[in-house]
Amino acid sequence: MTRLVEVPAQFDDRSFDQFAGAVAQATQDGERLLFDAHAAEWASPYGLVGLLAAGQAARGTGRADRPLLTAPTQAEVLTYWTRAGFFREAAELFEIHGKVPRAKAADDSDVLLPVTPVRAAEDVHSVVSKIQERSSAILASKLGLDPKATMGFAMALSEACQNIVEHAGTGGWVAVQAYHWRRKLAKRVVVIAVADAGVGFRHSLEPTQSKRFGARWSDAAALEAALIQGVSRFRDPGRGQGLAGIRRYVTRWEGKIAIRSGTARIAIVPRWDDDVPLRDGLPAFPGAQVLIIIPEQGSTKP
Amino acid sequence: MIQHIDVRAVLQESVSGVYADLVTRPTGRVVRERIERAMAAAQGDAAIARIDFTGVGCIDYSCADEIVAKLSRSRPAVLVLTGISDAHREAIDPVLAGHRLAALIERRDGTLEAVGAPEAAARLLADLVSRRLAARTPGGTFALTLA
Repeated sequence: MTRLVEVPAQFDDRSFDQFAGAVAQATQDGERLLFDAHAAEWASPYGLVGLLAAGQAARGTGRADRPLLTAPTQAEVLTYWTRAGFFREAAELFEIHGKVPRAKAADDSDVLLPVTPVRAAEDVHSVVSKIQERSSAILASKLGLDPKATMGFAMALSEACQNIVEHAGTGGWVAVQAYHWRRKLAKRVVVIAVADAGVGFRHSLEPTQSKRFGARWSDAAALEAALIQGVSRFRDPGRGQGLAGIRRYVTRWEGKIAIRSGTARIAIVPRWDDDVPLRDGLPAFPGAQVLIIIPEQGSTKP
Repeated sequence: MIQHIDVRAVLQESVSGVYADLVTRPTGRVVRERIERAMAAAQGDAAIARIDFTGVGCIDYSCADEIVAKLSRSRPAVLVLTGISDAHREAIDPVLAGHRLAALIERRDGTLEAVGAPEAAARLLADLVSRRLAARTPGGTFALTLA
């Protein structure tokens, strides 16, 4: 028996909860999963790395067979997913059905960093090195970012990736893309998406933080402790700098950070967005999924 | 005597030689430990350690904490940071301030500037002046007295 999980036609952080709900429901009886993306029309970097995390979680259930994935049927969607490096990573996790174009290098300037695995500190070095080569000019010329902000972008990316290495207990993926966000902001944005299907914030922080919160301890409390209070699972007083640094960076450049883990999602919401700061009671999804958006500077410049 | 430590060289000995960025906590830890060993070897001979970041690309918050904050806290010698770009400061300043620590940056013209928590910065400069390791310049800034 195979359980169907529909991949939303417009797959981004907004539709991710719908996807997570479908995954949670389909995994209840341990059957093989079929991720159906045939009708996908668009996926953000967040959607792509989130889909890989779902595949990672499905592989981690102990089943001998891999979950199935039906590839998008629209040619331009397939081309984009390929260019974004999705299928190169998906091939290890899914049994893919449908025609997938041969992998091409991501030479499009909008794909600043194709979907890239992050398993160890060495991968973070590689990611930071690549992003500086590819993105500095684009961030400065197309997004009007100050050179200080472009270096800060690499710092934020490094810290977001290290979250996987230090806390997930497994590998994950990162992708960075610049695009024109007509629907929401009518501006160009650069987006960092990081996802894993590891232990999540609640489990990572539980040994050091759960007593402090008592009965209030939850995924939402763990996210709040990590992002707002800057706590870490390590007792070293210098820990917790990473997310605090990202928060300072996005606030300074009127950007956004949202982290989903388990059944909760927390966000630092800029004035151009109508997201809510904290959501609880969402469909459970393993690990952590991080979204960072930095908008083109101009009228939003501090 | 001033001990000179080339952070980029230490970094390239510590991780793959192709990377110029001080990122990730494990990298920061290895680099700091090598710097500490070098400082321990020179102990007694060097009153000041000039930590040179020239040629280092990005420094993230984890490395700023692991290297600059931890060296500032243990203070095996007076630390003076050189080759610091604006982007490096973006990581170092808030990390030090978060720990209520400060460090001295030596600008290209030789003048000193403190970063981090203001009270700690004032104490650091006063300490250097009292030990005659730094003095006020005619322009009203501070500079090291040793070459």
